Amino acid sequence: MSFLYSLRLTRWGIAGFSALAFALTLLQSIGFYQIVGHTPAERAAFGRSMAQLAAQFTVLIAAPIRPDTVGGYVQWRAYSFFAILFAIWALVSAYGAARGDEERGLVEQVLATGTARTDALVTRVLGFAAGCVVAVTVAALGVEAGVSGAHESIGIDSLAGVSVNLLGLALCCYALTMLVCQFAASRYATAASAIVLLGLFLLNSLSRQLDQLSAWRWLSPFRYYDLSQPLAPGGTFDVRGVEALFGSAAVMTVVAAVAFSYRDVGSPLVRIPVAPHHVLREPDRNPVWRVPVLRGLYERRAGLAVWTIGVALLGVLMVILTKNIVEPLLGLAQLRPYFNLFITSGIYPSFLGFIWFGFAQLLIAGYAIAQVARWSAEDTDGRLEAVLSNPISRRGVLIERATVVMIGALVVAAASGVAVGIESHAQSIDLNQGRLISASLLLVPMAMFFAAIGALLVSLLPRATVGLLGGFAFVSYFIVQLAPIFHWPSWTQDLSAFHLYGQPLSSGVDITGLVIMLIVAAVGFAVSALLMERRDVGA
Amino acid sequence: MAVAALSTSRLTKDYGGGHGLFDLDLVIHPQQVFGYLGPNGAGKTTTIRCVMGMIRPTSGSAHVFGIDCMRDAVEVKKRVGYLPGDIPQFGGMTGKEIVAYFGRMRGGVDPKRVSGLCDRFDLDLGRRFREYSSGNKQKLGIVLAFMHAPDLLILDEPTSGLDPLNQQEFYRLLREERDSGATVFLSFADGSDIPEKAMRRAEGVTDVNVDDRIVTCTVHGSFAPLLDALHGAEVTNLVSREPSLEEMFLEYYRERSELPLLP
Repeated sequence: MSFLYSLRLTRWGIAGFSALAFALTLLQSIGFYQIVGHTPAERAAFGRSMAQLAAQFTVLIAAPIRPDTVGGYVQWRAYSFFAILFAIWALVSAYGAARGDEERGLVEQVLATGTARTDALVTRVLGFAAGCVVAVTVAALGVEAGVSGAHESIGIDSLAGVSVNLLGLALCCYALTMLVCQFAASRYATAASAIVLLGLFLLNSLSRQLDQLSAWRWLSPFRYYDLSQPLAPGGTFDVRGVEALFGSAAVMTVVAAVAFSYRDVGSPLVRIPVAPHHVLREPDRNPVWRVPVLRGLYERRAGLAVWTIGVALLGVLMVILTKNIVEPLLGLAQLRPYFNLFITSGIYPSFLGFIWFGFAQLLIAGYAIAQVARWSAEDTDGRLEAVLSNPISRRGVLIERATVVMIGALVVAAASGVAVGIESHAQSIDLNQGRLISASLLLVPMAMFFAAIGALLVSLLPRATVGLLGGFAFVSYFIVQLAPIFHWPSWTQDLSAFHLYGQPLSSGVDITGLVIMLIVAAVGFAVSALLMERRDVGA
Repeated sequence: MAVAALSTSRLTKDYGGGHGLFDLDLVIHPQQVFGYLGPNGAGKTTTIRCVMGMIRPTSGSAHVFGIDCMRDAVEVKKRVGYLPGDIPQFGGMTGKEIVAYFGRMRGGVDPKRVSGLCDRFDLDLGRRFREYSSGNKQKLGIVLAFMHAPDLLILDEPTSGLDPLNQQEFYRLLREERDSGATVFLSFADGSDIPEKAMRRAEGVTDVNVDDRIVTCTVHGSFAPLLDALHGAEVTNLVSREPSLEEMFLEYYRERSELPLLP
């Protein structure tokens, strides 16, 4: 396998993560100057508040060094988050290289050309490394662009240090996933790798609070990443920590290559004997397959359960953290205008309404986009054709899809609403129950808004649908969150889909926004029904 | 006059650049087994997808039992069993879930017929789709196409991925369906092996092997079905001999292997 081909296989990951890394470093560095204040006293107060805020989160991310400086702030706000982001990229990319390509038959094709297995695996690692170099460089350019806009500078050695540290962590996570994938059956490989990486992440992060874990944190690559914070004034670049990251990545790559040489393509290195299996000749007797919408929900039951539980848990977490976040931030005079934008009644309900339900909108949009991605995949992999070879109309398929999304979104929204309601009661945060119900239910038309646009795009641009819709959701989210901080003109907020949602928890339902969402959903599905009738399946 | 099971009139699907299907006129009568031959890119799958209403013809029309394939696509599909050229990817669903999903969607599927089809092709519905071999995926496609005993079977390269024994079983099934009143429309990519395919379908003919222009086979019983199958083919020489002791031995064990295993 050639190096260039390996790069080609990861090109979308490189483009997407580079763009995301650049946007985050640029926004954090520009945002720093917007909120830090102008006098040394204001900066010192800002630093104290950030340190106080960070102390609430040391269970997840390391405490910052000098958050009153742009270097310390960006290191904390952007590069701590990049540890998680790049680990996820490494996980997805390494699984695709180790096992996903096998399922698609690509590995067999490559090996049939005479390429040695070790060469094939090492080439994929080098391809990811090259992509990572691009992404960390672009992230550093984002910092430089943000800082130079304020006529300050960060040393090139600091930027190089933070980039090398991040590259080492990403490669270590990639090699570790590659290694785990050699031992796990294909369908469990992602879950097994994710559990290992999450376990190592939590081992390091929890060891900051639990002394009994500190003896074991040397096992975690995230520990070595934390040792270097070169962007902050007075921060360090821990050479031995970085060497440990690159060294362990190299060792794990070699072990993974050896394991790959000894295992069967398509199977794990150690195969568990299959238990005697009774041959089945009859169709499943479960009655849910009879009911049109129920069968769609049942087919997606695992995904729906993950979305429901995940969003509810995040809601609970946000309620638990609300007081801890709000207290230090309220002490900052420069943030008061920002809080004044959404605090209309009680502080905590307003904060939950803006921060949590703002994020919940992004999550519910993500749920809708995941369903749209499935529609697009069904078209290309032949499942839609299989469905339409039965006596069911195209319009019927579309109606069933829309209903499945609506009920799924309702389940996710209702579960998160109940969870937030119960936890806010436990935290003595007084929420208006009626408004909490409205705010939760209003997530359903938001999901339908995205699903309708997605249904349209699937008919027009099936391959670009997920990218366009995902981009629209992220831009909508950032507009709503950032426009008040950066004092963007009000018309920019009209470009955000989430502007239609309003502030139902603190101000009640925005009827105009709701009507617009419903109209867009109805028109979107109606037009996509017309397009669906006319278009060729699979084209 | 009986209505045609399948007919097309100047059916055209123009993809541009001279690619597609142009002015196809076709009439297939009920209970006819119609082989649709042509090289890759000749438009076989395009024809089938037009008839199934998956793609819209640029011009012309297609009818199944007199029903317009585009205007009344749902009515058409009530009477059709369809095997696509590429089996859809059902991922982690098990065979039994896939059959239940489409069987319930269609309605009127007899579980005993499904069991019978699975028995014939030795298909285990308890496994996940992604664990199936390509041959088993094809068998699942055949079960989905035949499970509701349709009046018209539209099969795009149906024997692709099947081993010779399963191919014979498939052609046996086709004969039974035709005898019970079904019409069959099936496509093949290559016409060079048609005498071979006809021979495989012939009653009592097994072990069909093709080596360049020489075809060998084993005949059980009468030669009449073999000679019928060769009708129209250019036969330059026909040699027949009695089976050897080894062939009798192999035949004996093959028959034994088809019996149910003792506990």
